[in-house]
Amino acid sequence: MANDVTFDQRTPVDFAIIGSGAAGGIIARELSTAGFNVVVFEQGPYRRAEDFTHDEYSVLFQGELLGGGPHLSGQTFRHDEHEVATSPEVQPIRYAQTVGGSSVHFSANFWRFRESDFKERSMLGPISDTNFADWPITYEEIEPYYTRVEWEVGVSGAPGPFDSFRSKPFPMPPLPVKSSGVLLEKGANKLGLHAQAQPHAILSQPFNGRSGCIKCGHCMFFGCEVGAKSSSLAAMIPLAEASGRCEIRDRSAVFRIETDANGRASEVLYYDKDGNEQAQMAKAVIVSANGAETSRLLLLSASEQHPDGLANSSGFVGRNLMFNAHAAVDGVFKHQLNDYKSVQVSKVIHDFYETDEARGFYGGGGIDARPLWSATPIFHAMLGMPHDVPSWGAAWKDEIAHNFTRQMTLACGTTSLAMDRNNITLDPNNTDQWGRPAIRATYHDHDDDVAIARFLSERSQELMDAAGAEKFWAHDVGLSTGGEHLLGTARMGDDPTTSVIDRHHRSHDVPNLFICDGSSFVTSGRGQPTMTIMALAFRAAEHIAAAAKANEI
Amino acid sequence: MKNNSDISRRRFLKSTGALTGASLFRIGAPSFAALTQAACTARDEGATFRTLGTEEAADFAAIAARLIPTTDTPGATEAGVIYFFDRAWGDELSRFLDVMRGFLQTINGGLGARFATLAEAEQDAALKANEHDGRFELLRITTIYGFFAMAKHGGNKDHLSWDLVGFEGHHGGWEAPFGYYDAEYAKEQSSGE
Repeated sequence: MANDVTFDQRTPVDFAIIGSGAAGGIIARELSTAGFNVVVFEQGPYRRAEDFTHDEYSVLFQGELLGGGPHLSGQTFRHDEHEVATSPEVQPIRYAQTVGGSSVHFSANFWRFRESDFKERSMLGPISDTNFADWPITYEEIEPYYTRVEWEVGVSGAPGPFDSFRSKPFPMPPLPVKSSGVLLEKGANKLGLHAQAQPHAILSQPFNGRSGCIKCGHCMFFGCEVGAKSSSLAAMIPLAEASGRCEIRDRSAVFRIETDANGRASEVLYYDKDGNEQAQMAKAVIVSANGAETSRLLLLSASEQHPDGLANSSGFVGRNLMFNAHAAVDGVFKHQLNDYKSVQVSKVIHDFYETDEARGFYGGGGIDARPLWSATPIFHAMLGMPHDVPSWGAAWKDEIAHNFTRQMTLACGTTSLAMDRNNITLDPNNTDQWGRPAIRATYHDHDDDVAIARFLSERSQELMDAAGAEKFWAHDVGLSTGGEHLLGTARMGDDPTTSVIDRHHRSHDVPNLFICDGSSFVTSGRGQPTMTIMALAFRAAEHIAAAAKANEI
Repeated sequence: MKNNSDISRRRFLKSTGALTGASLFRIGAPSFAALTQAACTARDEGATFRTLGTEEAADFAAIAARLIPTTDTPGATEAGVIYFFDRAWGDELSRFLDVMRGFLQTINGGLGARFATLAEAEQDAALKANEHDGRFELLRITTIYGFFAMAKHGGNKDHLSWDLVGFEGHHGGWEAPFGYYDAEYAKEQSSGE
């Protein structure tokens, strides 16, 4: 669908929304259909469903959806602030640069948070050297928006034994169980654990005029060629454009939010598709660019009135980066699973979700069964082999040939603690393809994050054994070297000295600047953040629209 | 950067004939002979290398053939991995061309001979001796790319590698059951077990 509307750059549009992903797409739909004129800026191109392919080499290894790899996207990484950050061959901060953002290429595992996620600090007490805190909102407050996501964006699933309450059932049943799910359930039953259906932002059947999943198996890292994945591209942006009040301005990389003499956001400066500087005036600005890009943009927008970066009087912009720690255990079974078919995950265990103080450390997580390295052949050959197999030659070839259809991974998604030392800053030595300072991630997992990941790895090895794996092995749990979940870097809170935005996503410092994406998180959840990002977006849009109508922005 | 050699595929195969022949004698299976025939017609007879020269192409092809060897199933040679190297090192992986040429020089320099001229056991020993060189891993990964990436990228002739591992990547969608265990599970569910 082509854009039906183009807004004049010198006439202030009601809202400039920076980012078209999980949050930006929803906010665009909500505000445009409420009668506001919006321009959505997306640095990537406007790919449609028919543009997505199963080309593993281009998508996974040439950064087709990631902006072309680290040498173009401008990202650096280091574990410690005393190190000089470098740009590794594998992009450290992985998010899609395309209309729809990372909601296009994510695996679409789609948990709600639980009631406890929003008040863990009160439940567990302080943790030294961290910024561990309660959210300013509760599960009860966000629950109606989780329900909106499920019914308006489209979620398949069935309730699990540990889920928090829901006000409405899932709109459609879960996707079919896979062999990996059957084996996880078998192991769980033996160990007295509970395997439940995995919820997905993928349609198990036709819904709201969209096609159901065809089980092609190319969800993780790929765009969905039939629009069954409930990305903002498939589910929200078409509705926004149909309002006649939403312009998607793709290939437009924002590099600064300008403020006026009153300290209010007034203009969005960006590079257009030809690399030329452009400016769009706006009455209000909403930043939904993801936890890394949002931080960079706010830091780049420093001015005399905002010397440490826009909305950064607290100094919390960029801080508290949380990736969600991970662990993985692989197993090979006698018969073929063919787990490369259909969605990644069909069953998950949430028995270890909550922090158990008896373990001696903070954190919890989920264990799901999926192909992961066995979803596509390059990935499998590169990363899927056990440690005792040589990395080349006839024995290696035999192993990959035998294992590809017989292998599964138990993937553990866990917590990360918010800390000052884990952050996004502007790299002084490197730039991206547009000349913006590179995003520099500094990250060293908290000891508790590593401990819970190791704990879940041990439980996963027990599950593999109980499931009857002929062979299984654990991947080393080490320090994170990057991530896809970009959380916490502009956290919400009631105290302007320890947070960037208020409970309604308005920045404490700039009244007409709103921020909503993974950066808004206060804690990390257990590894599946996108459902909560989308719920926050519905909730934020409601408050922003109400404030605008009341002339209170 | 590009070295547009005029070498034809026919001439290239001749230059690596000792290697290919040795593998064929060792295998000797009729099904494999058919696969090899397919590989020999993998490219137009007049196809040329765009990036690599004759001798270095033979060496890189020989290295790929030891990393993913021809056994009773096809390997890098039959999949045409060298054509992936030639294309990618002249295009999206061009930043690695000199790195890879340098690595080849290191290997050949240590041997005092061109890699492609050695016996398989000597080739394996040479690679083993260079395993800890970071460039080895880069070449190993690039070989995996060439073996498994879609055929449009230059290798993976006739989806040989996908057939090898059982990946029906050219198939569109699927319906349950997908594998043995969910099929059995469905039977148990329907029988009320």
